[in-house]
Amino acid sequence: MMDKDKLRKADIFSGGIIMLFGLWIVSQALQMPMKDSYGGVQNVWYVSPALLPLFVGAMIALLGGMLIRTALKTVGLRGLKETLGWLTSSDLARYLVTPALFRFYAMIVLFFSFVFLQIPHIDFFLCAVLFLVVFITMFYFDDDTLLKKFLAIYLAGTFVLLGFFAFGGTASMETMLPYAGDWLTLIFIILYCLYAWASIRGIPALHKKYRTALILAVAAPFTIGPIFKYFLLVPMPKEGVVVALLDAIRYWDF
Amino acid sequence: MMLFERIGTFFGLVFGLATDPLHLAILFGSVLLGIIFGAMPGLTSTLGVALLTALTYGMDTDLAMVCLLAIYVGGTYGGSYASILINIPGTAAAAATALDGYPLACKGEGGRAIGLTTTASTIGTIVSMLFVVSISPIISYFALQFTSFEFFLLAFFGILISGTLTSPDLVIKGWIAGFLGLFLACVGRDLLQFYPRFTFGFSELDSGVEVVPVLIGAFGIPQIIQVLKDRFQIGEAQKLQRIIPEIGTVVRNVPAIVRSALIGVGIGAVPGIGEDIAGWVSYGTAKNTSKHPETFGKGELKGVLASETANNACVGGAMIPLLNLGIPGSPPAAMLLGALMLHGVTPGPMITFEHPTFIMEVAAILLMASIAMFVTGLLLAKQVVKVLRIPTQIFMPIIGVLCIIGSYSLGLNIFNLYLMLPVGIICYFLTEMGYPIAPLVIGVILGPMADENLRRALMVSQGSFMPIFQRPVSLILFLIIVLTVVSQFDWYRKIKDRAMQKIRNRKDTCETILEENDSER
Repeated sequence: MMDKDKLRKADIFSGGIIMLFGLWIVSQALQMPMKDSYGGVQNVWYVSPALLPLFVGAMIALLGGMLIRTALKTVGLRGLKETLGWLTSSDLARYLVTPALFRFYAMIVLFFSFVFLQIPHIDFFLCAVLFLVVFITMFYFDDDTLLKKFLAIYLAGTFVLLGFFAFGGTASMETMLPYAGDWLTLIFIILYCLYAWASIRGIPALHKKYRTALILAVAAPFTIGPIFKYFLLVPMPKEGVVVALLDAIRYWDF
Repeated sequence: MMLFERIGTFFGLVFGLATDPLHLAILFGSVLLGIIFGAMPGLTSTLGVALLTALTYGMDTDLAMVCLLAIYVGGTYGGSYASILINIPGTAAAAATALDGYPLACKGEGGRAIGLTTTASTIGTIVSMLFVVSISPIISYFALQFTSFEFFLLAFFGILISGTLTSPDLVIKGWIAGFLGLFLACVGRDLLQFYPRFTFGFSELDSGVEVVPVLIGAFGIPQIIQVLKDRFQIGEAQKLQRIIPEIGTVVRNVPAIVRSALIGVGIGAVPGIGEDIAGWVSYGTAKNTSKHPETFGKGELKGVLASETANNACVGGAMIPLLNLGIPGSPPAAMLLGALMLHGVTPGPMITFEHPTFIMEVAAILLMASIAMFVTGLLLAKQVVKVLRIPTQIFMPIIGVLCIIGSYSLGLNIFNLYLMLPVGIICYFLTEMGYPIAPLVIGVILGPMADENLRRALMVSQGSFMPIFQRPVSLILFLIIVLTVVSQFDWYRKIKDRAMQKIRNRKDTCETILEENDSER
């Protein structure tokens, strides 16, 4: 949590966002049926689906307003002017590139690419290995310069994958090369690992960490995945080349 | 006779659990997993229950309950390891334990401290289990008289009190979090008219927001981001010697233990608050009532005893409103509610009719879990403590994968992940800005109950709110809600202080007059 003074200044803006959100809820709720019949049911206000959303929206808007008032009472208009000044100055740009925020961006990129891009399109085991090898190497090495390098290479690879899936690469290559997306991801994982090794080759202290990261990045999905797939009978979100291989081994069907 | 029957049923259930190897293996395994989750700073028993909900989805209800309750009990206790050995609470519940536990470890008495927390936690859980068994029939009896207004007011009170007491900053933020949870609960087609609310055309949202993935996102993602962004490092742990059960210390402090257990059960029974508040309140009470309060914070055994007994007693306390009213008493209990609903068990006043022995089963599991925790804690503490050496940068990403596959596995719906991640990111920002997450979770869980009961109540009363003032329980709940809200404002405190001052002045005046009359005679 931020310190109190900064928190109060931020509360002015978060209170504003919350108040606007509350008003939006109210506006949406007012479009719900209040008097006319819906689905064969004659509406009155107390049966209306808008009842609780109206109450919730009004309370959120009211509490947002109270938050702004409390924050302004503490920091005053001077605090608001200082914050607006900071937001429009170069201090904001400097703040947005601090190491802590960079680590935050890295995690957001990793999570969003994992959930929205990789899981729906790539074999779960492969995308979990990719997610873990990148995540662990970025943070376990505890070096912000390396983190930025790894993030840059990961972003480049993610854009390639995004382009491949966006332009229907899997469908167009299906006849030539089944599971084309999975093979592309495997190449990406190998290239990333080679790049990571090249980056830390001159730092002996990180060699053991690199080995640990690789082992865990492979071992964890291949422990968790089979438990879910074969013990709990949960099919993977996307079953590709690795699951096909595991199924072949499991059922001895070659 | 009925009492003897109930006792017989209870011990029958305990015997059944104790003699089934599968149940025993799962019990001990889940307790151990819970202790590991509790011991690791950054992981919580709530997250452990959430992840295990996904893993136990396909199991029988009774086996799933063994897993979930065992990890809850173990997780609440496990937080004391990190508190004592590295002065960083493994869970918020063990924050008060660090104040005296760590100084004890620095003096070379870490083994003694862990032995004491193990014994105290076991006693706390067993005492709370007794309350679950004895108080549940009384609460069920009264709850069966409740109408829709009472249930609406109870749900609303639960959200409000959770926001009031768990907010680390302004109380308004706790209330905002609660109402945000209520908003999430409004998403989907409403139960009475099937009108789509806030679905934006997504058919996946027609049945509403899936509770368990949202809870996993709300608790798991912010933790992962916070720990790794702030480069949280676990320090060097103090050496651990022989773990001694400290039965002698416990026997000498029986009144303090009973008081701490009562505090834990009482606080656990209040919706949405949880073990951390129980630990602090009990520690504060122990210090204020001690003849030597100056020894607290320097390795006082009573401090460790107080916080650990209370936080584990909170486990059973949280079960009381959960099972009898369907209102969770703590965030892990909120997760348990989600898990129970997935298994087709709807907690509430009807549970004694639909599942007559369910409450007894829960009590039996709590008893067995506390025994398993005692045995595991004494025998395996030195091995579990080794997990503190695992760097957070390794296990947090793995927890991330577990959160994701766990959320997906409930419903086999990728849309759950599309929902889980943005909710998790928003909850991270809320946490950074000082908003508590527990009221949001309580709002999501209790929202449908509040919505349905409010509209049903108004349908019966033809739009009138008068029944709130005509029914005694409704009126009391309404007044408590008004008092909870109003007591947070300065003008109320000023009026209250002025009124108290006037009463004191009148009392002094009366005493003076009486003294003068006595002296004249």
